[in-house]
Amino acid sequence: MPIYAPTLPPAPDLHLGQPPALVLMRFDFSRLWRQKIGRFFGFAFLMMLLWKVARIYVDHLLHTNQAFKPMQDFAKTILTQGADFQADLLNPASYLLWFLVALVGGGLVARDTLYRVRPLMYAHPVAPKDYLLAKLGFASLLPFVILLPFALLPWLMSLLLAGAHGPVWVTAPLRLLPAMAISSLLMGSLAVGASSLAATPRAGIGWVLGLVLGLGTLASMLHGLTGTPSAQALNPIVLAETWPQLLVGVQRPLLPWLPTILGTALHISLWTFLAARRTRPSEAVI
Amino acid sequence: MIAFENLEVRYAATAAPALKGLTLAIDRGIVGLLGPNGSGKSTLLKTLLGLLKPSRGSGTILGVALGAPESARLRSRIGYMPEYDALIEDASAYEQVAFWGELSGLAPEAARDRAHEVLYFVGLDESRYRPVSGYSTGMRQRVKLAQALVHSPELIFLDEPTNGLDPDGRRRMLDLVLRVHAELGTGVILASHLLGDVERVADQLVILDQGEIKAAGSMAGLRKALAKRVELRFLDPLDAAQEAALSELGTVLEARNGLYDLELAEADPAGAFRWAQGCGATLVQVTPRHDRLDEVLLRALHPDAVRGTGLRPTPPEPPRQDQAGPAPDSPPTNGSTAVGER
Repeated sequence: MPIYAPTLPPAPDLHLGQPPALVLMRFDFSRLWRQKIGRFFGFAFLMMLLWKVARIYVDHLLHTNQAFKPMQDFAKTILTQGADFQADLLNPASYLLWFLVALVGGGLVARDTLYRVRPLMYAHPVAPKDYLLAKLGFASLLPFVILLPFALLPWLMSLLLAGAHGPVWVTAPLRLLPAMAISSLLMGSLAVGASSLAATPRAGIGWVLGLVLGLGTLASMLHGLTGTPSAQALNPIVLAETWPQLLVGVQRPLLPWLPTILGTALHISLWTFLAARRTRPSEAVI
Repeated sequence: MIAFENLEVRYAATAAPALKGLTLAIDRGIVGLLGPNGSGKSTLLKTLLGLLKPSRGSGTILGVALGAPESARLRSRIGYMPEYDALIEDASAYEQVAFWGELSGLAPEAARDRAHEVLYFVGLDESRYRPVSGYSTGMRQRVKLAQALVHSPELIFLDEPTNGLDPDGRRRMLDLVLRVHAELGTGVILASHLLGDVERVADQLVILDQGEIKAAGSMAGLRKALAKRVELRFLDPLDAAQEAALSELGTVLEARNGLYDLELAEADPAGAFRWAQGCGATLVQVTPRHDRLDEVLLRALHPDAVRGTGLRPTPPEPPRQDQAGPAPDSPPTNGSTAVGER
């Protein structure tokens, strides 16, 4: 037998709240927390980060400790310390990061579709652009936050151990952070667009993985058939890997500037447009 | 509270209108919105929520023009309880009610406090931390009501609030609806197929069909009209002269096997005994017909299908410029109209 309150006091002021997009992002984060997928990915990414940091420490030892002198020639073969090394800092098992984005981002819009929560959101003071901004922001912020220690921790360690002469350039974060932002936005927009096509979170994961791998296969086929390497600009994985290379100035990046810019712009605009169309209020069935 | 004139809504420019020239004025109270599937109830609610823009006509809700840019902000003054299960299954009732409170504009801490209060109000105090996936239908309905109330709206739309509830659950839900209006002063628009629910809580009635208002009026007026409807049983069959004289009592709606359905001209049924005494007939039973709200609905939707419901089978009136509504106790009428205050 339920126990009812004698009455309901008036609500507090309604004008002190946070922007709807921020509220939605925070709620999505709490949902992600409940999914408990952090253990596997946390362990995997932590191991990769430790490996990167360990390489920098070994490099430091090789330069400062004469006992390691005989190993130096061998070490030079694995520690290039040039632009390739800087760009490689942001390449922690690219496929694993895409898989995580698919796992989390695939359900972002699809879960709201399944539970029919979106129409109810639009019955609150939530505009479609708030909804899209929240989903896109969350799906992009996730890979950005994961990549952040990969860009900053090795740089910080290099700076502490060897100052300006360490293996990581002093200016590396200035080049890597924009690359991270663009790659993360690419991942986020694709995940949200694919998720908006799905009716369930599992289908959303399938859509993201299918699109990423399918576009990769299509790009490789076009590359093979036409002999045009720029066809790889269709492949979102290649695009995400190319941006750090271009911004740190790798001599032979996977793709030149123009196809990378065009491919990235096409992906981001296409998937964002699709997500916007699929989450319009007129699609809301009350 | 809500007023619109000649309101027309289309889903696409070339599509047929989903709402056709509605004119209505509703004051604060509990309004029952009746109509079959596809009658335009949901389209009307969407339009009132500002999700659809009228293609023609105008209107205001809580003083804000329909389709105005401020309609997004207006939604923080409105609560909406959907018919379907719009619950986040992996979250507890407390988490999601606080979430909806924040979306309505409450600060995070205030929303959390408010979630406790409103869940207590709807009788979910003890189970508020459990995921809603384990809730019964009645509890789920109450969570939906709680999210509609969390920000103390001035007006709430309840879409089939008693769907799937057992009789006891229905009674409790309707009690809550009555409390919401009586204690919080919140206006209620109740869309339902269950006439008993509407009859129990609503003080105004709007019947929609095929995008048009078929009837609207106060429940008091409807009850008064229904109170005039009686069934007369005579000891012996009436002769032709007596049957003809029956029209002095009121309108004869149906005659079968010595039973006569009448809509009396006066509310006092004692007049029927005086009439029988005067014309030499022996009247043995007068049965009031109070259980005919369903007939009101059927009559409004299909004027030829059911006879005698208090609604005259008049053709729908064209929208009027002077929206002077009928008196609060007047019976529901066909066509465009205004409904009075509780």
